[in-house]
Amino acid sequence: MSKSQAVKDGAKQIIKILQEFPEDRIKHLASFKDIQTKRFQQIAGANVNNSNDNSIKNSKNPSVEDIKNLISSNPTSLALQKDLIKKMKNALQKDHFDEQSIQEQINSMNNLVSNKYKNYYKLGDKLYKPAGNPTYYQRIMDELQGKKKETLLSAARTVIFGK
Amino acid sequence: MLKEILLKNRTSIIKGKGLGSLYNRPLQPDWLNCTLHKRLQSTRSISRDSPEGIVSKSHLKEPDQSIPTNAAVKQAAKLNPLAHSKYESKQYQLPKWKEALGEFVISKFNLDMDKIRAGPVAGSYFYNICKEQGLQFEDEPLSNSAKFFYEDLNLPRTFSQWFQITILHEWMLFVRMRAMPFKYGRNYQQKLVDRTFADIELRLFEEMKVNSGRIVDQYLKDFNSQLRGAVFAYDEGFFTDDATLATALWRNLFAGRKDIDMVHLEAMVRYVRSQLYVLNQLSDREFATGKFKFVPINETVEILTSNEEAVMKEKVIQHYENLDKNPNILPSERSKLSYTN
Repeated sequence: MSKSQAVKDGAKQIIKILQEFPEDRIKHLASFKDIQTKRFQQIAGANVNNSNDNSIKNSKNPSVEDIKNLISSNPTSLALQKDLIKKMKNALQKDHFDEQSIQEQINSMNNLVSNKYKNYYKLGDKLYKPAGNPTYYQRIMDELQGKKKETLLSAARTVIFGK
Repeated sequence: MLKEILLKNRTSIIKGKGLGSLYNRPLQPDWLNCTLHKRLQSTRSISRDSPEGIVSKSHLKEPDQSIPTNAAVKQAAKLNPLAHSKYESKQYQLPKWKEALGEFVISKFNLDMDKIRAGPVAGSYFYNICKEQGLQFEDEPLSNSAKFFYEDLNLPRTFSQWFQITILHEWMLFVRMRAMPFKYGRNYQQKLVDRTFADIELRLFEEMKVNSGRIVDQYLKDFNSQLRGAVFAYDEGFFTDDATLATALWRNLFAGRKDIDMVHLEAMVRYVRSQLYVLNQLSDREFATGKFKFVPINETVEILTSNEEAVMKEKVIQHYENLDKNPNILPSERSKLSYTN
């Protein structure tokens, strides 16, 4: 009991660290922050307040989570063939965390959020403002943050001259 | 003809002057000879673990894999591992008269060797070191780096995963190439990308046994957009912070898997940052003549003290000063690239 409690607390801690992760600057197919938050919310238990989860719970139709729980907890009630149940169980990804492994996850995420490696392996302006194209990274960041949009002319210049 | 000489020169440049041949014996670039190498195994650091060491300490059990992850690449019989050009073979010796004619042409027309060298260095040597990191065939034992990616990180053994590993390494070289003078760095990037896609096209036909040219074209377009997306995401992560770099690695290298082990992500971030640190220490001249190889996955890169850095730079400057002063230097060995940065 205490062991699973430690894992739950660890998962809650991870969700907190995930909040510190920067938002995606543009929309990607998959968002690390969202997907991992959902994953650890399941481990932390359903009582973590999440508006999305509640809305699904309140609706009449069973959610995907409900079906997954049913398969893993009481598969015989589905009256399916054994090998099919086995296949379905395998298809459901399960995390096997224990106290030690969840602590490792927390440590790693703390290292990432605290910028440990960028600070340790310090690089100078040689790579951040590369001689061949000093504004390369700054232009990407300006575009991402919407500070300075590329115009048709500046984009054409990049395509033709390479910078 | 000229190409033959140049390809040949790539090895002779380095072999002749005792800098360590790129192909014929284990590479010992300047940065390895200098103090950095000692630092690699030294004890002073944040943690002494190499990326492989970090991963091996994770206690998270991998969940059951329901999706078959093995779609191993079949080795085409007797295929030359890198190319179909005899000039890239280790055994090939260029006839002396061809070499002399080449040197004559280069000096007579005053050809820009820095520009020409991009082909053999970026298009052949750099592509080879990127390619071999994740290279795997069904019936062959995995190399150390491939073992790390496919067994320790539990990535699927597929062709597209190999491509992701390759472009991660190519991107690290791109970062360094941008810091070269624009004309040359751009050319190096172009040669590396050209070679990548030429090779993928061949591998799809010969190793993956795709018969339809139309399907290969579709794959190539898809790989092209993967390359653009990955380079953009890694650039963003490189310039901003470790967390962004980690999410970029998660989306591209780990294909956005839900059950990611954060320890693996941390190890990869360390791997990337440490390689870039080594690349940062190289001068343009060393990098452009191909005196770089990726730090193996089981070694730790430790930072240099400013004193060690100064000693290393001085050694490099002295070496190239002597080389440039030498009146017997071959026309193909000349370079105008800086060795002081």
